[in-house]
Amino acid sequence: MSLEASIARLLRLGVYLSMTLLAAGVIALLAAGISPLAGAPPLDPAAFAADLVDLRPDNLLWLGLLVLVATPSVRVLAALVGYLRSNEPRMVAVSLLILVVIAASIALALIVEP
Amino acid sequence: MVIALLLIAGGAAAGAFGSLLGLGGGILIVPLLTLGFGLPLREAVGVSLISVIVTSGAAAAVYLERRVADLRLGMTLELFTAAGALVGALIAFLVEERLLAALFAGLLVYSAMSMWRAGRRKGGAPDGVTGYVVRNRGRGAVASVGAGVVSALLGVGGGLVKVPVMHLVMGVPLRVATATSNLMIGVTASAGAIVYLARDGIDPYVAGPVAVGVFVGASIGSRAAHRVPLPQLRILFVAVLLYSAVLMIRRALAVG
Repeated sequence: MSLEASIARLLRLGVYLSMTLLAAGVIALLAAGISPLAGAPPLDPAAFAADLVDLRPDNLLWLGLLVLVATPSVRVLAALVGYLRSNEPRMVAVSLLILVVIAASIALALIVEP
Repeated sequence: MVIALLLIAGGAAAGAFGSLLGLGGGILIVPLLTLGFGLPLREAVGVSLISVIVTSGAAAAVYLERRVADLRLGMTLELFTAAGALVGALIAFLVEERLLAALFAGLLVYSAMSMWRAGRRKGGAPDGVTGYVVRNRGRGAVASVGAGVVSALLGVGGGLVKVPVMHLVMGVPLRVATATSNLMIGVTASAGAIVYLARDGIDPYVAGPVAVGVFVGASIGSRAAHRVPLPQLRILFVAVLLYSAVLMIRRALAVG
Protein backbone atom coordinates (compact mmCIF):
# COMPACT_ATOMS: atom_id res chain seq x y z
CA MET A 1 0.00 0.00 0.00
CA SER A 2 1.33 3.45 -0.91
CA LEU A 3 2.01 6.04 1.79
CA GLU A 4 -0.85 8.15 0.42
CA ALA A 5 -3.27 5.22 0.73
CA SER A 6 -2.26 4.37 4.29
CA ILE A 7 -2.53 8.02 5.32
CA ALA A 8 -5.97 8.22 3.72
CA ARG A 9 -7.03 5.16 5.73
CA LEU A 10 -5.68 6.73 8.91
CA LEU A 11 -7.52 10.02 8.29
CA ARG A 12 -10.75 8.17 7.70
CA LEU A 13 -10.29 6.12 10.86
CA GLY A 14 -9.67 9.26 12.93
CA VAL A 15 -12.68 11.10 11.50
CA TYR A 16 -15.03 8.11 11.92
CA LEU A 17 -13.83 7.40 15.46
CA SER A 18 -14.19 11.02 16.55
CA MET A 19 -17.59 11.32 14.85
CA THR A 20 -18.81 8.18 16.65
CA LEU A 21 -17.67 9.60 20.00
CA LEU A 22 -19.14 13.04 19.27
CA ALA A 23 -22.45 11.54 18.08
CA ALA A 24 -22.62 9.41 21.24
CA GLY A 25 -21.87 12.53 23.28
CA VAL A 26 -24.61 14.49 21.52
CA ILE A 27 -27.13 11.68 22.12
CA ALA A 28 -26.10 11.58 25.81
CA LEU A 29 -26.47 15.37 25.91
CA LEU A 30 -29.97 15.14 24.45
CA ALA A 31 -30.91 12.27 26.77
CA ALA A 32 -29.75 14.23 29.81
CA GLY A 33 -31.76 17.24 28.66
CA ILE A 34 -28.77 19.58 28.92
CA SER A 35 -28.86 22.77 26.84
CA PRO A 36 -25.78 23.06 24.62
CA LEU A 37 -25.61 26.73 25.54
CA ALA A 38 -25.30 25.86 29.25
CA GLY A 39 -21.52 25.67 28.97
CA ALA A 40 -19.67 22.38 29.38
CA PRO A 41 -17.51 21.72 32.42
CA PRO A 42 -13.84 22.30 31.58
CA LEU A 43 -11.63 19.35 30.75
CA ASP A 44 -10.07 17.91 33.90
CA PRO A 45 -7.18 15.72 32.75
CA ALA A 46 -6.70 14.22 36.23
CA ALA A 47 -10.26 12.91 36.56
CA PHE A 48 -10.77 12.27 32.86
CA ALA A 49 -9.80 8.59 32.72
CA ALA A 50 -11.78 7.73 35.83
CA ASP A 51 -14.85 9.68 34.67
CA LEU A 52 -14.84 8.21 31.21
CA VAL A 53 -16.41 4.95 32.34
CA ASP A 54 -19.46 6.98 33.42
CA LEU A 55 -20.08 7.92 29.78
CA ARG A 56 -21.04 11.44 30.77
CA PRO A 57 -21.87 13.61 27.75
CA ASP A 58 -19.05 16.08 28.37
CA ASN A 59 -16.48 13.28 28.61
CA LEU A 60 -17.60 11.65 25.37
CA LEU A 61 -17.56 15.05 23.66
CA TRP A 62 -14.13 15.95 25.02
CA LEU A 63 -12.72 12.59 23.94
CA GLY A 64 -14.23 12.99 20.46
CA LEU A 65 -12.70 16.47 20.13
CA LEU A 66 -9.28 15.26 21.32
CA VAL A 67 -9.29 12.33 18.86
CA LEU A 68 -10.28 14.72 16.06
CA VAL A 69 -7.64 17.33 16.88
CA ALA A 70 -4.96 14.62 17.25
CA THR A 71 -5.80 12.97 13.92
CA PRO A 72 -3.77 15.37 11.69
CA SER A 73 -0.73 14.97 13.97
CA VAL A 74 -1.01 11.19 13.82
CA ARG A 75 -1.13 11.56 10.06
CA VAL A 76 2.14 13.55 10.14
CA LEU A 77 3.68 10.88 12.39
CA ALA A 78 2.69 8.18 9.88
CA ALA A 79 4.21 10.23 7.06
CA LEU A 80 7.41 10.60 9.10
CA VAL A 81 7.67 6.82 9.42
CA GLY A 82 6.94 6.38 5.71
CA TYR A 83 9.57 8.91 4.63
CA LEU A 84 12.13 7.39 7.00
CA ARG A 85 11.54 4.03 5.31
CA SER A 86 11.75 5.44 1.80
CA ASN A 87 14.82 7.41 2.84
CA GLU A 88 13.73 10.95 1.95
CA PRO A 89 15.71 13.18 4.33
CA ARG A 90 14.01 16.41 3.21
CA MET A 91 10.51 15.08 3.93
CA VAL A 92 11.69 13.51 7.21
CA ALA A 93 12.88 16.98 8.26
CA VAL A 94 9.59 18.58 7.14
CA SER A 95 7.55 16.00 9.11
CA LEU A 96 9.66 16.49 12.22
CA LEU A 97 9.39 20.28 11.99
CA ILE A 98 5.58 20.10 11.69
CA LEU A 99 5.50 18.00 14.86
CA VAL A 100 7.73 20.60 16.54
CA VAL A 101 5.27 23.36 15.58
CA ILE A 102 2.34 21.31 16.97
CA ALA A 103 4.28 20.66 20.19
CA ALA A 104 5.10 24.38 20.37
CA SER A 105 1.41 25.26 20.05
CA ILE A 106 0.59 22.95 22.97
CA ALA A 107 3.43 24.40 25.04
CA LEU A 108 2.76 28.05 24.19
CA ALA A 109 -0.99 27.71 24.75
CA LEU A 110 -0.32 26.46 28.26
CA ILE A 111 2.57 28.75 29.14
CA VAL A 112 1.83 32.17 27.64
CA GLU A 113 -0.95 33.94 29.52
CA PRO A 114 -3.55 35.63 27.33
CA MET B 1 -33.08 19.80 23.17
CA VAL B 2 -34.32 22.21 20.53
CA ILE B 3 -31.07 24.14 20.57
CA ALA B 4 -28.99 20.96 20.16
CA LEU B 5 -31.10 19.96 17.15
CA LEU B 6 -30.83 23.47 15.71
CA LEU B 7 -27.04 23.36 16.11
CA ILE B 8 -26.93 20.00 14.30
CA ALA B 9 -29.20 21.34 11.56
CA GLY B 10 -27.17 24.53 11.24
CA GLY B 11 -23.94 22.54 11.03
CA ALA B 12 -25.51 20.23 8.44
CA ALA B 13 -26.61 23.21 6.32
CA ALA B 14 -23.16 24.79 6.53
CA GLY B 15 -21.52 21.47 5.67
CA ALA B 16 -23.84 20.78 2.74
CA PHE B 17 -23.64 24.26 1.17
CA GLY B 18 -19.92 24.44 1.91
CA SER B 19 -19.21 21.26 -0.04
CA LEU B 20 -21.62 22.20 -2.86
CA LEU B 21 -20.00 25.60 -3.33
CA GLY B 22 -16.42 24.55 -2.63
CA LEU B 23 -16.28 26.79 0.41
CA GLY B 24 -14.81 25.60 3.64
CA GLY B 25 -17.60 25.35 6.17
CA GLY B 26 -15.88 27.94 8.36
CA ILE B 27 -17.02 30.99 6.48
CA LEU B 28 -20.62 29.87 7.09
CA ILE B 29 -20.29 28.45 10.62
CA VAL B 30 -18.84 31.54 12.28
CA PRO B 31 -21.71 33.84 11.15
CA LEU B 32 -24.23 31.09 11.99
CA LEU B 33 -22.99 30.76 15.58
CA THR B 34 -22.44 34.45 16.26
CA LEU B 35 -25.40 35.97 14.43
CA GLY B 36 -27.76 32.99 14.83
CA PHE B 37 -26.95 31.65 18.29
CA GLY B 38 -25.41 34.71 19.92
CA LEU B 39 -22.06 33.09 20.66
CA PRO B 40 -19.06 35.35 21.23
CA LEU B 41 -17.03 35.54 18.03
CA ARG B 42 -13.94 33.89 19.48
CA GLU B 43 -15.93 30.86 20.67
CA ALA B 44 -17.52 30.57 17.25
CA VAL B 45 -14.06 30.60 15.67
CA GLY B 46 -12.94 27.75 17.96
CA VAL B 47 -15.96 25.61 17.05
CA SER B 48 -15.45 26.46 13.40
CA LEU B 49 -11.83 25.24 13.52
CA ILE B 50 -13.11 21.88 14.82
CA SER B 51 -15.62 21.72 11.97
CA VAL B 52 -13.03 22.42 9.27
CA ILE B 53 -10.86 19.58 10.62
CA VAL B 54 -13.87 17.28 10.09
CA THR B 55 -14.57 18.33 6.50
CA SER B 56 -10.91 18.44 5.54
CA GLY B 57 -10.17 15.03 7.07
CA ALA B 58 -12.99 13.30 5.20
CA ALA B 59 -12.28 15.02 1.88
CA ALA B 60 -8.49 14.71 2.09
CA ALA B 61 -8.76 10.92 2.44
CA VAL B 62 -10.61 10.77 -0.89
CA TYR B 63 -8.19 13.18 -2.61
CA LEU B 64 -5.16 11.20 -1.40
CA GLU B 65 -6.57 7.90 -2.63
CA ARG B 66 -7.32 9.41 -6.03
CA ARG B 67 -3.78 10.79 -6.13
CA VAL B 68 -5.04 14.35 -6.66
CA ALA B 69 -3.58 15.82 -3.45
CA ASP B 70 0.19 16.30 -3.49
CA LEU B 71 1.33 14.96 -0.11
CA ARG B 72 4.92 16.26 -0.37
CA LEU B 73 3.92 19.77 -1.42
CA GLY B 74 1.09 19.84 1.13
CA MET B 75 3.33 18.83 4.00
CA THR B 76 6.06 21.28 3.01
CA LEU B 77 3.58 24.16 2.93
CA GLU B 78 1.65 23.08 6.02
CA LEU B 79 4.79 23.52 8.05
CA PHE B 80 4.32 27.22 7.31
CA THR B 81 0.51 27.31 7.66
CA ALA B 82 0.80 25.56 11.04
CA ALA B 83 3.39 28.09 12.23
CA GLY B 84 1.09 30.89 11.02
CA ALA B 85 -1.87 29.27 12.78
CA LEU B 86 0.04 29.16 16.04
CA VAL B 87 0.70 32.89 15.77
CA GLY B 88 -2.86 33.62 14.63
CA ALA B 89 -4.40 31.75 17.54
CA LEU B 90 -2.23 33.60 20.04
CA ILE B 91 -3.20 36.92 18.42
CA ALA B 92 -6.90 35.94 18.57
CA PHE B 93 -6.74 35.95 22.37
CA LEU B 94 -5.03 39.36 22.46
CA VAL B 95 -7.27 41.45 20.20
CA GLU B 96 -10.73 42.81 20.84
CA GLU B 97 -13.73 40.93 19.47
CA ARG B 98 -14.76 43.99 17.49
CA LEU B 99 -11.53 43.88 15.52
CA LEU B 100 -12.12 40.18 14.80
CA ALA B 101 -15.65 41.02 13.64
CA ALA B 102 -14.28 43.71 11.30
CA LEU B 103 -11.68 41.31 9.88
CA PHE B 104 -14.34 38.63 9.43
CA ALA B 105 -16.56 41.11 7.59
CA GLY B 106 -13.65 41.76 5.23
CA LEU B 107 -13.21 38.03 4.67
CA LEU B 108 -16.94 37.64 3.90
CA VAL B 109 -16.81 40.40 1.29
CA TYR B 110 -13.69 38.89 -0.27
CA SER B 111 -15.33 35.43 -0.41
CA ALA B 112 -18.47 36.89 -1.96
CA MET B 113 -16.36 38.60 -4.62
CA SER B 114 -14.37 35.49 -5.49
CA MET B 115 -17.54 33.41 -5.60
CA TRP B 116 -19.13 35.94 -7.96
CA ARG B 117 -16.07 35.87 -10.22
CA ALA B 118 -15.87 32.05 -10.16
CA GLY B 119 -19.49 31.95 -11.34
CA ARG B 120 -18.78 34.20 -14.32
CA ARG B 121 -15.63 32.42 -15.42
CA LYS B 122 -16.19 30.38 -18.56
CA GLY B 123 -15.22 26.76 -17.79
CA GLY B 124 -11.44 26.95 -17.77
CA ALA B 125 -9.24 24.59 -19.73
CA PRO B 126 -9.18 21.15 -18.17
CA ASP B 127 -5.92 20.59 -16.37
CA GLY B 128 -4.16 17.37 -15.46
CA VAL B 129 -3.02 16.24 -12.07
CA THR B 130 0.53 15.21 -12.94
CA GLY B 131 3.53 16.52 -14.82
CA TYR B 132 3.65 19.98 -13.24
CA VAL B 133 6.74 21.60 -11.78
CA VAL B 134 6.32 23.53 -8.53
CA ARG B 135 7.77 27.04 -8.83
CA ASN B 136 8.32 29.92 -6.39
CA ARG B 137 8.44 27.80 -3.23
CA GLY B 138 9.66 30.79 -1.20
CA ARG B 139 6.69 32.96 -2.08
CA GLY B 140 4.40 29.99 -1.47
CA ALA B 141 5.87 29.53 2.00
CA VAL B 142 5.36 33.21 2.90
CA ALA B 143 1.75 33.14 1.66
CA SER B 144 1.20 29.93 3.65
CA VAL B 145 2.18 31.66 6.88
CA GLY B 146 -0.44 34.31 6.06
CA ALA B 147 -3.06 31.65 5.31
CA GLY B 148 -2.30 30.00 8.66
CA VAL B 149 -2.74 33.27 10.56
CA VAL B 150 -6.10 33.92 8.85
CA SER B 151 -7.21 30.34 9.57
CA ALA B 152 -6.59 30.44 13.32
CA LEU B 153 -7.73 34.05 13.74
CA LEU B 154 -11.04 33.67 11.88
CA GLY B 155 -11.78 29.93 12.03
CA VAL B 156 -11.56 29.13 8.34
CA GLY B 157 -9.54 26.67 6.29
CA GLY B 158 -7.70 29.38 4.38
CA GLY B 159 -8.27 27.84 0.95
CA LEU B 160 -9.20 31.31 -0.27
CA VAL B 161 -5.53 32.25 0.09
CA LYS B 162 -3.78 28.93 -0.58
CA VAL B 163 -5.57 27.81 -3.73
CA PRO B 164 -4.88 30.97 -5.80
CA VAL B 165 -1.27 31.10 -4.58
CA MET B 166 -0.57 27.45 -5.44
CA HIS B 167 -2.34 27.74 -8.78
CA LEU B 168 -1.21 31.15 -10.00
CA VAL B 169 2.15 31.63 -8.27
CA MET B 170 3.46 28.10 -7.82
CA GLY B 171 2.21 26.65 -11.10
CA VAL B 172 0.12 23.85 -9.60
CA PRO B 173 -2.96 22.68 -11.55
CA LEU B 174 -6.20 23.97 -10.01
CA ARG B 175 -7.56 20.54 -9.06
CA VAL B 176 -4.30 19.62 -7.35
CA ALA B 177 -4.17 23.01 -5.61
CA THR B 178 -7.71 22.57 -4.26
CA ALA B 179 -7.08 19.01 -3.07
CA THR B 180 -3.70 19.87 -1.54
CA SER B 181 -5.13 22.92 0.21
CA ASN B 182 -7.80 20.67 1.68
CA LEU B 183 -5.21 18.22 2.94
CA MET B 184 -3.29 21.05 4.63
CA ILE B 185 -6.33 22.30 6.55
CA GLY B 186 -6.19 19.43 9.07
CA VAL B 187 -2.74 20.21 10.47
CA THR B 188 -3.30 23.98 10.15
CA ALA B 189 -6.64 24.03 11.95
CA SER B 190 -5.47 21.60 14.62
CA ALA B 191 -2.43 23.78 15.41
CA GLY B 192 -4.89 26.64 15.97
CA ALA B 193 -7.53 24.49 17.70
CA ILE B 194 -4.98 23.23 20.25
CA VAL B 195 -4.46 26.81 21.45
CA TYR B 196 -8.24 27.38 21.69
CA LEU B 197 -8.74 24.04 23.49
CA ALA B 198 -5.97 24.72 26.00
CA ARG B 199 -7.53 28.08 26.83
CA ASP B 200 -11.10 26.77 27.19
CA GLY B 201 -11.94 28.54 23.95
CA ILE B 202 -13.95 25.60 22.57
CA ASP B 203 -17.16 24.51 24.30
CA PRO B 204 -17.74 20.80 23.54
CA TYR B 205 -21.50 21.19 24.13
CA VAL B 206 -21.60 23.46 21.09
CA ALA B 207 -18.73 21.94 19.09
CA GLY B 208 -20.14 18.38 19.31
CA PRO B 209 -23.56 18.98 17.70
CA VAL B 210 -22.11 21.38 15.11
CA ALA B 211 -19.30 18.97 14.10
CA VAL B 212 -21.72 16.04 13.76
CA GLY B 213 -24.03 18.23 11.68
CA VAL B 214 -21.21 19.40 9.44
CA PHE B 215 -20.06 15.81 8.86
CA VAL B 216 -23.55 14.69 7.83
CA GLY B 217 -24.15 17.82 5.74
CA ALA B 218 -20.84 17.61 3.89
CA SER B 219 -21.45 13.92 3.09
CA ILE B 220 -24.86 14.78 1.63
CA GLY B 221 -23.52 17.82 -0.21
CA SER B 222 -20.75 15.93 -1.97
CA ARG B 223 -23.25 13.35 -3.24
CA ALA B 224 -25.91 15.85 -4.30
CA ALA B 225 -23.58 18.19 -6.22
CA HIS B 226 -24.76 17.11 -9.68
CA ARG B 227 -28.47 17.53 -8.84
CA VAL B 228 -28.36 21.12 -7.64
CA PRO B 229 -28.59 24.23 -9.87
CA LEU B 230 -25.20 25.64 -8.88
CA PRO B 231 -25.32 29.06 -10.62
CA GLN B 232 -28.52 30.05 -8.76
CA LEU B 233 -27.15 28.68 -5.51
CA ARG B 234 -23.99 30.71 -6.03
CA ILE B 235 -25.93 33.96 -6.50
CA LEU B 236 -27.98 33.18 -3.39
CA PHE B 237 -24.80 32.66 -1.39
CA VAL B 238 -23.13 35.81 -2.65
CA ALA B 239 -26.17 37.56 -1.14
CA VAL B 240 -25.95 35.54 2.10
CA LEU B 241 -22.24 36.33 2.49
CA LEU B 242 -22.76 40.05 1.85
CA TYR B 243 -25.70 40.18 4.28
CA SER B 244 -23.58 38.43 6.94
CA ALA B 245 -20.82 40.95 6.22
CA VAL B 246 -23.22 43.83 6.95
CA LEU B 247 -24.24 42.21 10.26
CA MET B 248 -20.58 41.63 11.15
CA ILE B 249 -19.74 45.26 10.41
CA ARG B 250 -22.62 46.35 12.67
CA ARG B 251 -21.18 44.10 15.37
CA ALA B 252 -17.75 45.62 14.89
CA LEU B 253 -19.15 49.12 15.21
CA ALA B 254 -21.48 48.35 18.11
CA VAL B 255 -20.64 50.06 21.35
CA GLY B 256 -18.96 47.27 23.29
